[in-house]
Amino acid sequence: MDTLTRRGRAVRVAVAALGTALLLAGTLWGGDDDFPFGPFRMYSTAPDPDADAPDTRVEGVDTTGRTVELTETNSGLRRAEIEGQQQAYVDNPSRLRQVAIAYAARTPGAAPLKEVRIVIRWVGIEHARPTGRSHDQVIAQWTAP
Amino acid sequence: MDRAVNRLVAWLTEPVPRGRVAAFRTLIYLFVAADLVIFTPWVRNHASTPGDLYQPLLIGRLLPLPVPTPLLVHAIFWILLAASLAASTGRAPRLLGWTVFALYFEWMIIAMSYGKVDHDRFGMLVALAALPTAGRARHGDQTGTEAGGWALRVTQIAVVCTYFLAAWAKLRFGGLDWVTSSVLARAIIRRGTDFADLIAGVPYLLVLAQVGIIALELASPVIFVLRPRWRNWAVAFFYSFHAITFATITISFAPHLAAITSFLALEKVRPVVWVRGFGSRNRGQVKEHERPVV
Repeated sequence: MDTLTRRGRAVRVAVAALGTALLLAGTLWGGDDDFPFGPFRMYSTAPDPDADAPDTRVEGVDTTGRTVELTETNSGLRRAEIEGQQQAYVDNPSRLRQVAIAYAARTPGAAPLKEVRIVIRWVGIEHARPTGRSHDQVIAQWTAP
Repeated sequence: MDRAVNRLVAWLTEPVPRGRVAAFRTLIYLFVAADLVIFTPWVRNHASTPGDLYQPLLIGRLLPLPVPTPLLVHAIFWILLAASLAASTGRAPRLLGWTVFALYFEWMIIAMSYGKVDHDRFGMLVALAALPTAGRARHGDQTGTEAGGWALRVTQIAVVCTYFLAAWAKLRFGGLDWVTSSVLARAIIRRGTDFADLIAGVPYLLVLAQVGIIALELASPVIFVLRPRWRNWAVAFFYSFHAITFATITISFAPHLAAITSFLALEKVRPVVWVRGFGSRNRGQVKEHERPVV
């Protein structure tokens, strides 16, 4: 059998203890920025059972007047990434120009976008169940000069 | 006190057959290759994302890592793909293992630095960090190894932490109200399948599912005290939970699913030997115990 040396064992125990301590600290006080030791906060919020749910999308209007939904495939940006930086786009809508640039880089040959907007579809929820009703709200918009 | 510490240390480095380490190594490194191409191919899209949208994580600022450029992203992709495939053979476990770990870690930092951090791969990162320390291991070798035992144990701990500490995070960010909140209804609205829409229509089923999720997460450490047979059932239960998650909101947690195999007696899975045995029997060769007694 392969046995560990005293030192080999001590180092491994210390590393395991340190890793666990960092992960516990991240869970208690950290945030996503502390990856990979941040809290496992996927689906950890508790939205009100009767509050409308946001369903975000990013869409653009190209020079032919066509409305295009911007997805991971045609822009290289995941929806959750747009949402993660949502406040930055609301504060400074001209940032959406970068999304138009990313779309042009990912979809060569497509008509360029003259407008990009972030739209939230608010879907009704009652007693923690979807009601099927919804309305749209544009929260950030950039138009090519 | 000393006895408790000694028992904990012995548990952390409990020997496992080298064959299990070899099988886990092959599986994990093949997963890395598959992750690049199949499971998280979108990371490569960041080659064309404008640098202005890059918001490096703490680790990216501390090291400090460069802003991804097309050259950097494509170079990491191809070198990591080649290194992970080479590492899956079990050769040069330290050199290739550390190379794969460093490149995959940087790959993940690129992936998570554009506004969204995923939480599905802590176990995978721990496995990649621990495997280079597990030493050489041949498939089918029954010799015990404590270094290999530690590598598998810390991966198991990371897997259980992913569940248990997720419950903790729910209490921290959502509080006790999480259980009766509309969190699953929201998830279904955003990414629900037809199957999920069906479930969402049943009164109180989503709230019941939320109770079940918290219970599963809080109870997950129990897997460490189960006998092997029951441990396999617990693993099957974990997988069934993720199968339902995938069927309803198309979230696969694929890297975590690969890390869960650290709980299994993988040395018993010998696909190459089985295929060889099948081939040689087809050519008329039989093993000693298969000869007819006359």
